[in-house]
Formats: sequence, C-alpha cells, structure tokens
Amino acid sequence: MAQIFPKWLNKLPLVLGVGVPAFLILATAFVWYYFSPKYTDAGYSPVQPVPFSHKLHAGDMQISCYYCHAQVEVSKVATVPPTRVCMNCHRVVGADKPTLDPLRASAKNDRPMRWVQVDALPGFAYFDHSAHIKAGVGCSTCHGDVASMERIRQVEPLSMHWCLDCHRNPVMALRPYDQITNTTWTPPADQAKVGAKLMAERHIAPPVDCSGCHR
Amino acid sequence: MSDAERRTQRSYWRSLERLYESPALADLAPEFAEDTGEPPDGVTRRSILQLMGASLALAGLAGCRRPVEYIVPYVNPPEEVVPGIPRHYATTYPAGLHAYGVVVESHEERPTKLEGNAAHPFSRGAASGWMQASTLNLYDPDRSRRIMQRKGETVNPVSYDAFIDSWKKRATELAANGGEGLAVLLEPVASPTLTRLLKALRDRFPRARVVAWEPLHEAAALAASQSLFGRSALPLYHLDQARTVLALDCDLFLSEPEAVIYGRDWAAARNPRNKTMARLYAAESTLSLTGANADHRIVMRGAEIPLFAAAVASELSALGITVPGAGSAPKALSTELRKRAAMVARDLAAAGRHGLVAAGRMQSAAVHELALAINAALGAIGTTLTLHAPQDAELPTASGLHDLAAAMQSGAVTDLIMLGGNPVYSAPVDLDFAGALSKVQHTVHLSSHLDETSELVEWHLPETHYLEAWGDARAIDGTASVIQPLIAPLYDGHSAIELVGVLATDQEQKSYEAVRQTWKDLLPAGDFETGWRQVLHDGVLADSAVPSIAATSAASAAEAFGEASKAPVFERLELTFHPSRSVFDGRFANNPWLQEMPDPVTKITWRNVALMAPATAKKLGVKSGDVVVLRQEGRKLKLAAWALPGQAEDSIALEVGYGRTRAGKVGNGRGANAYDLRTSTAPAFVSAAALERVGRWELVPQTQQHGEMAGRDLVREADLDEFRKDPKFAQHPDEDIKPSPLYPQEHSYESGHQWAMTVDLNACTGCNACVIACQSENNIPVVGPEQVSKNREMQWLRVDRYFTGSEAAPSVVFQPVPCMQCENAPCEEVCPVGATVHDREGLNVMVYNRCIGTRYCSNNCPYKVRHFNFFNYTKDTPQVVRLAMNPDVTVRSRGVMEKCTYCIQRIREAEISSHKTDRPIPDGEVKTACQQTCPADAIRFGDQLDPKAAVLETKKDPRNYILLAELETKPRTSYLAGLRNHNPAWEDEDA
Repeated sequence: MAQIFPKWLNKLPLVLGVGVPAFLILATAFVWYYFSPKYTDAGYSPVQPVPFSHKLHAGDMQISCYYCHAQVEVSKVATVPPTRVCMNCHRVVGADKPTLDPLRASAKNDRPMRWVQVDALPGFAYFDHSAHIKAGVGCSTCHGDVASMERIRQVEPLSMHWCLDCHRNPVMALRPYDQITNTTWTPPADQAKVGAKLMAERHIAPPVDCSGCHR
Repeated sequence: MSDAERRTQRSYWRSLERLYESPALADLAPEFAEDTGEPPDGVTRRSILQLMGASLALAGLAGCRRPVEYIVPYVNPPEEVVPGIPRHYATTYPAGLHAYGVVVESHEERPTKLEGNAAHPFSRGAASGWMQASTLNLYDPDRSRRIMQRKGETVNPVSYDAFIDSWKKRATELAANGGEGLAVLLEPVASPTLTRLLKALRDRFPRARVVAWEPLHEAAALAASQSLFGRSALPLYHLDQARTVLALDCDLFLSEPEAVIYGRDWAAARNPRNKTMARLYAAESTLSLTGANADHRIVMRGAEIPLFAAAVASELSALGITVPGAGSAPKALSTELRKRAAMVARDLAAAGRHGLVAAGRMQSAAVHELALAINAALGAIGTTLTLHAPQDAELPTASGLHDLAAAMQSGAVTDLIMLGGNPVYSAPVDLDFAGALSKVQHTVHLSSHLDETSELVEWHLPETHYLEAWGDARAIDGTASVIQPLIAPLYDGHSAIELVGVLATDQEQKSYEAVRQTWKDLLPAGDFETGWRQVLHDGVLADSAVPSIAATSAASAAEAFGEASKAPVFERLELTFHPSRSVFDGRFANNPWLQEMPDPVTKITWRNVALMAPATAKKLGVKSGDVVVLRQEGRKLKLAAWALPGQAEDSIALEVGYGRTRAGKVGNGRGANAYDLRTSTAPAFVSAAALERVGRWELVPQTQQHGEMAGRDLVREADLDEFRKDPKFAQHPDEDIKPSPLYPQEHSYESGHQWAMTVDLNACTGCNACVIACQSENNIPVVGPEQVSKNREMQWLRVDRYFTGSEAAPSVVFQPVPCMQCENAPCEEVCPVGATVHDREGLNVMVYNRCIGTRYCSNNCPYKVRHFNFFNYTKDTPQVVRLAMNPDVTVRSRGVMEKCTYCIQRIREAEISSHKTDRPIPDGEVKTACQQTCPADAIRFGDQLDPKAAVLETKKDPRNYILLAELETKPRTSYLAGLRNHNPAWEDEDA
C-alpha cells in the first residue's frame, strides 16, 4: 500500500513549532510598528499647491513663526496665513516665479488657497495652540525642526499616547518663553530641574483626563 | 389628614396608563425596543434624517487611506476675525409688536448659538425655545432661494431688477388715482424704519390700504384698552409685584409675548425666602403650561371663561371693589364655578393692588376689557401691570383682514403686496382667502419659504432671515434696538424694509442705509457714528423706553360685562383653538428641533391631536390615537384623538400651526390644520362640533413614558404651610439611608474645580427653553417621529412631567433631568471599554471614540439620561444645515452613546482662558447652555469648592434633595423641592 503522507511531512511538527511562533512574533511586530501612527502618520509630507519652503522662509531668512502664524498665541488654531500675508512680500519678491501662480491667482480672484493639512488631529480631539504656548511648549516639540524642511512634514506620531506622555510629565518640554520659536532647541543638561521650576512658576497642570481634550 | 400623611399618599403619575397600571404598559416603552437592528423604514424617515446635524469629514472615512483634509485660509481676512475664536454680536429677535435683545455667537462669521442679551429689558439674558431655535431657521435647506414670477401656468425665476421694473409700471398707474386698489398686508410689527417707509408709501398712495394681521394677533387686548382708557395699548405684567394672579386662559409662561421675563419675575414672586409667596389661579379649558404651574386650576369649557371673568368682576364689586359696569354674576355659570369665582375674588381683593387678572391672547375683547377693568378697580395698574402703547407700530384690528378679504372679493383690490405671513394657510376659513386672492390681478408675497400663499401669487420674493438683514424694532415699552445681521443673505433674499423701500420710492434700497437714516432721528444729539456704534454694541438704545400710558379713570365696562355674561350656545361638544407650544402659529413648522421637542404638557412630538378629557373620550368611545373626524358647519378635520388629564369635559382642544402642505420637508403633513375649522366670528372656541370615529389608529409619537424611573420618590413638593413648619421636608425620606461602600473611590474631589448643579423645581415652569438651548449648543441630532416612538429621541435634557391627583383635575409637576453626573456612576461600572469614566473635576465624561455601543451603561443608568445613536443621523445632512453646528462639540456618529456633559466645552474654554490670563475662574463665568437660557433662572451651576459660588448657596438650601439617594450614586445635580401655595379656603374635593 502506497504511503498516504510523503516523508517530509515528518518535519511538519518542527516547522510548525518554530514557524508559527516566529510568524506570530513577526506579525505582531509588523502591526505594532506599521499600523501605528509612528509609521502611518509620521513622515507624511504631501505635495502642496505652492512648493512653500519653510527652510527658506523660517530657516535661511529667519522670518519669525509669528509673522505668518500670527494668531497662534491667542487662538486654538495656528492660523495658516491668509493670501494677503504672502502677497505682502510676493507682490515684489518672485513676482514672475511660475510656482507662485496659484498664489497670485488666489489674490486676484479672491479665491482661497487650499493647503493640504499635514499635522492633523481627529475631529473629536480638541487641541489649543495658545494654551500650549502659554505653558511654554515650543513649536518644534510637536512640529519638529520646521526651519530645516523644504516641504513640511509630520514628524511626531501625534497619537493620544504621545500626547499623554508629555501631559503626564511635561518637564522635558517646557522652555523659556524666548525659545518658543527656536526649532532647533534641545533640552539643556539640567532640563529636569529647569523644567520643574518652570512648571511650578507657570502653574502648569496638564489635564490627563479624557475630558481634557475630548468634548 | 395631616400634612405628613397627605405627602406620603401623594402619588405621581406620568400617563393614564400608569395611573391605572394597565397591562399595555408592559410594552409601552422598554428602553431598547426589540427591533433594534431593524433598518430605517421608508423614504420619509430618511428624508428627515437628512435634515439634521452634520458630519465632519471623518464620518465618511473609508478604508485605511489617510483622508486628505485642506486648510482654507482667508484671502483677505475680515477685520478683527481670528479663526478659532468665536465672536458675539448683539442683535434683536423681532416678534411682531415685541422685541427681545439677543447676543449671537458667531464662528468665523457663521451664527451658531443665540443667548438673551442681559442689557435688554425683555430678555434679561434669557431666551425662549423659539428664540433658541430661530438660528436653525436661518439654515433651513427648504428656504426659498429665488424670486419667482408666475405667468399663467408657468413659474420662472427672475431678477430683482425685473421685479422693480414691473413695479415701476404698476406704481405709475396706481399713483394716478392715489393708490386706489393697492393693499399691503403685513404682520403686526413695531419697527421705526419699516413704519417710516410705510408712511412714505402711504404719502405716495394715500388711498392704499395697509392691513396688519396675523392669525394669533393681539387686537383684543388693544381694543380693550382703547375702550376703557381711550388708547390702544398692550398690558405688560410685573409678576414680581403680584401676590394673587388669575390667568384667564392666559399662558403667561409660554405663549404670552413677554413669557421670558414673566418666568423670571414669577420665580422672584415665588421665592420661599420672601415673607409672602404669590398665588396663581388659572381658569382654562385645556391644560396650559401656566395651568400646570397654578396653585389652583379651575377647569371650565372655553365658553365659560367669559362668564367666569364676569362673575369675578361681579363678586369683586360685591366685596366693595367696584368694577364699573359690572352687574350681578351671570346665571349661565354653574354654581360650582360661581363659588370658585367668589373665592378668587376674595383673594384678589385681599391682594389689592398686588392682585392681577391676565387674559390670554385667544380671549375676546370683552374678556380683556373685564380683566383690565378689574385690574383698574384693584388699583393694580402701575403695580402689577402697566399699559404700553406700541411705538412705531402697525397694529392689528379685529376686522382688518375681514374687510380686506371682502374688498378683494369685490374686485376693489387690484394690487396686493403681502410682507411675510401666510394667510392662505392661516386666515379664518370663512374668509376664503385663497378665493379672494385669485380675484386680485397683481399679487406679491415676500416670504422665507415658497409656502401655501406663495404658490398662488404672481410674484414671490424670498425674505431674509432676521440674522441676514438690517432692521430695527421696538420692544413693548418702546425700547428701541437695531437688528444687526451676522451673515450676508444666503440666498437672493430681501427684507420687508427693502421691499417697502422699493414700493415707496421705486429705487432699490439697502436696508443698512434705510435703518441708519431712521436712526439719525432716534439717536440723541451728538456724533451719530459714536451713538450708532454704542447701540450696536449694547444691542439696545439707552433710555428709549416710553412711559406707560396713564390709566387712571376707566370708562364703564358695562358693555363688555354684558357681552361676557351672555349665555353661550352649547350643543354637544366644543372646540377650542390654541397656539402650538412647538410651532406656534405654524411659522416654526419646518424647524426640526421644535417639531421633535416634546410638548411640555402632552409630551407629544411632531404633530397635533384632538385633546379631550379622559371622561369625554370614554363617553365618545374614543381611545388615544384613534383617528376622528370633527365636523363643524360643513367643514371637517381629521386627526388623532388624545386623552389629556385636566382637560374640560365635552371640550376638545386643537393646536393650530400643524397640517402644513408647503412648509418644507420637515413640516409638511404633520398633524392637521386646525385653521380649517377656525372662523373669523369664533377665533377662540366654537360649539356644536360633531365627532365621529374613522375606525383607524394613528401613531402619536410621544415621550411621556420615556426615561421613566419606575414610580420612585422623584419629585418632591409641599404646601407652603408644610414647608414653613418643616423646611427640610424634602430631605426626610433620605435620612435613614445607610452608606454602603459599594463603589471604589477613584478621585478625592477635594481640589481643583468640582462642578455641580441645582435645579429649582419651585422656579421651573417647564417651558422647554433649556431643551432647545442644549440641542443647539451640543449638536444634538433630530431622529424623526418613528424613532421618537421607539424611545430613541436624543435630547440630552428632558423635562419630565408628572401628574398628581385625579385625572379630571390633576396638579402637574415638571422636572428637568440632565445627566446627574454621579460621583459613583453606575454607568462607568459596566462599560467594558472604559468609554465612560470620571475626571477629577467630578464629571462623568463620555469618550465617543472609545465607545463600541454595547449600551450597557444606559441599561445601568438609574436616571435614564443616556442616548444612543442608532443610526448615523448626520450622514446626509445638507451642507447648509452643517453651518448651524457648534465647532466646539464633537458630532457623534452611529453606534455611539452620548449624554449631557455639563457643557464641558464651555468649562474647558473657561479653564484655558483662566490658564492663559493667570486668574481664577470667577463664579458665574461658566454657564451651561440650559442655565444661561432659563427664563426662570431655575438652574444654578458652578464650582462647589468655591465658597462664593451661587450653587453652594442652593446646595445648602433646606429644600435641596437628590434623586434616588438610596442608590448611593452621589449625583452632582440636585433639586430644590417645589412648593405650592394653596388657598386654605379652597375646598378641593380631589385633594
């Protein structure tokens, strides 16, 4: 009588014994990283209607963040500049650059620009820029070294876990007010002490309850 | 019977089924019906769902692709607008001869939420449900969008210029003979600019007719004052001054024009800390909100109200308070009612100038005149009421529309311009207004919707919403204010001011220019721009009130007395007509918030019914929900019957405002049109109606059994005497409760802000303003009648209505129930995913993004305040309705539980602002939406750790108690027990 099962099947228990756990571990690791905002969200850098370079404006020319994001200190939103603000300079500078055509068209036809949102939170999470600036959290803590970016890119995962890490222990993120817009700021060696002092001075008690951000 | 015994024997019931514990109750309202998974049925319901709510882009998030979202900044930002920071503008809510100052919140120049203007004397920071809901009217997707011209059978959109050109031709012809044949029909209005332009129109066409009319006008009150004091004036009551009030079919707390301030004044007059507490008698045929709040309700048929008024006048005269012209009490009144009249008269006499008799807007001029004569005799004019001649107003008259319709029928009117209103739908049926309209060659109708009247006219012009165009208004006492628009007209709309400007001058007028021109004369001397800006800022022109008219020597009311004492014709049944507490006279018919708002008394939504006494229903063999046909002089009306406790026997109450055919998707075909039985000779009640059953049953979506807390001791109230003897009466039932450490203590709640709320049941009138304010603030969806009948309504705040006593003459208690914010929340214990948890400020928070929709929390909530999104109610919402959404509150999707949050968005804004400015939050800065709008100021909210907090004071009040204390839930919301001020002499057989 012919054998029903081929001989190599004898190795099956071994293959399964090693292969299945290995697969499970790999699959878990795969999901762990590739399904997380660290992979899916961070690094997002869509093409914008105008190839606006933060590196040129904020980096090389040292234009303050507040020049364009003028109301970030008072409003919950960072306020992307209206066309008029761009045209303050670009009426003269780069007046014949074809890449600025959409901008000029916007000003001429009174049609707003449509920038692609990069650093986005879901609609059920309410973030307030002005509160964070008041606490002394700098731009680069969430947005990274914007002044070095040719095209704006999401750096941090902006996940709830990531937010809460800082809310639970904000000491490492607090800066002197004159360093808020410094996109290359790194915590000094004694930040733990400085941060704790700033935290006490500024009466900082970040909410860690759900209701802090979800309404 | 001792007080204590009476209290324990007092039982509260919500419905007749509950009173009799009928077996049908078992399947009345399980919290979650069996057919939970069943899909929505039919196109109708779907179309309703499309009308409400909004979904952010994430609602449509399909697959795992990252949705691309855009940031769309301004090109040239409007001055002073900061994205993300709402702005508030003062404006005016115009309501005919009345006006209420409001402050409207605007997000990026899009008005979303309305509040009362504290600086305005007739809103004082509060707002009614109608005012709250008016923002949604702005975004009504069914609004008319274009000017339409009818030529024969075809209707075409045309331009405004084409209309003006056509008018110019007509105007030349009309002007040739002084405007003979021209008629203008408008709703009564008090507006300096409109009156100025109408005067210009009258100067140009001296023979033109100008008629002011609306279906529920106040001509009777004006005529009464004219007859007694020689001036057309409206009464303004000062309830805070009152000690004894008799309301003659007068719904002081809801449908009377100044109901908003009456609520607050009445709460002041009923404050148990005062030495005396005011007493309210209500004489009425159907249970009104005022009757529900009365200490003694005297039930009588509509036809008996004039007799009762006459009897009170005659009894007062017998007591030495001579009402000029009052004879002996009418014989036609039953002895029982005469006895009641005598008692009320004695109480009024004792109150003297602090007494008040108020006649309702549906009552005849004779009743108004008697009420006024009694008030004059009591010396109350100047104390509990003042009379105000409307300023800059077009006043309604009783015969105005009648005469106009006759002239139209005879062909004497060639051109009819209608500014707003909907007479084809609402005019008295005997006038045959549609027929009369067809005899007029040239007709123009300015209206927000292409409605029943617009259908039949030559020119239809879309009317702007009051938040879209400049205007002005005078409040009842003459206080002038500007109607400041917050948004440019969404469609090709024009205001009445603009249209009358064209009629008067042939030139296109901008309402802004027209209003400013008027105000050049109104503002005090000085720089105009400064004064104008001040008015716009304050929302009211300071010191613009006009003194009330001196009403010292009253003429004899003999004629009115004779008129009121006439024995009424009464055959088998009587019909009475009432304004709807939801859609008023039909103008709010297309407003889904108001349609879905449970009527405060009947708890019925989305339709009207024929209300009858349970005994009458039994006699006629009719059950609630049976379709009946009412016949009256060859006219008929088909609608569902409903047994309402407290309704007068043999009297059927009909709410007007329903049965619209051209209101829009929301309002069409809801209920039946009671105007079809209402004639110009009998606007309030009519006898000799026949009723027959059709043998069919209709669904009446109502909520009276929803959220029931199973007959436990929830509403607590006492007589004033009981309270004086035992102020802590409301706390006794909970004294024996022994604490059981069932719940783990997560937070200590001893630092930071600890939010808490009290609701004063003694102040609450049950007017529902809070329900609509909550809906507007928190983006609460509307679900439609079928879903309501399945217990799926979404309003976070419900107002429970309880009856107590007999079904013939019950007494009524209201109890608003938001989330109790239990410190030991039962809902949290059963949530498998931690979607409802506590924060350290004592709030029971709902985390939508965690919720998986098990509904365990709602099952375990003893207060039944949680609401589940059975469908994605906001998925197909038209873009324009999304503009009404509050951007600070998450829009919920399908499968998510939601509930009252104590307006967490307002708390957060205050906390962030406090953090940014380094100052503590002062008490009163955070107001919940319900608290802010409450006309009676019944809701207190604040940080209970703040020693200066107003809420702390009410928490320490002896009347303070919590619901279901035995469950150890430690709710943050508590109640102050209600009080009744019964007349000790009142031998109430039913007590």
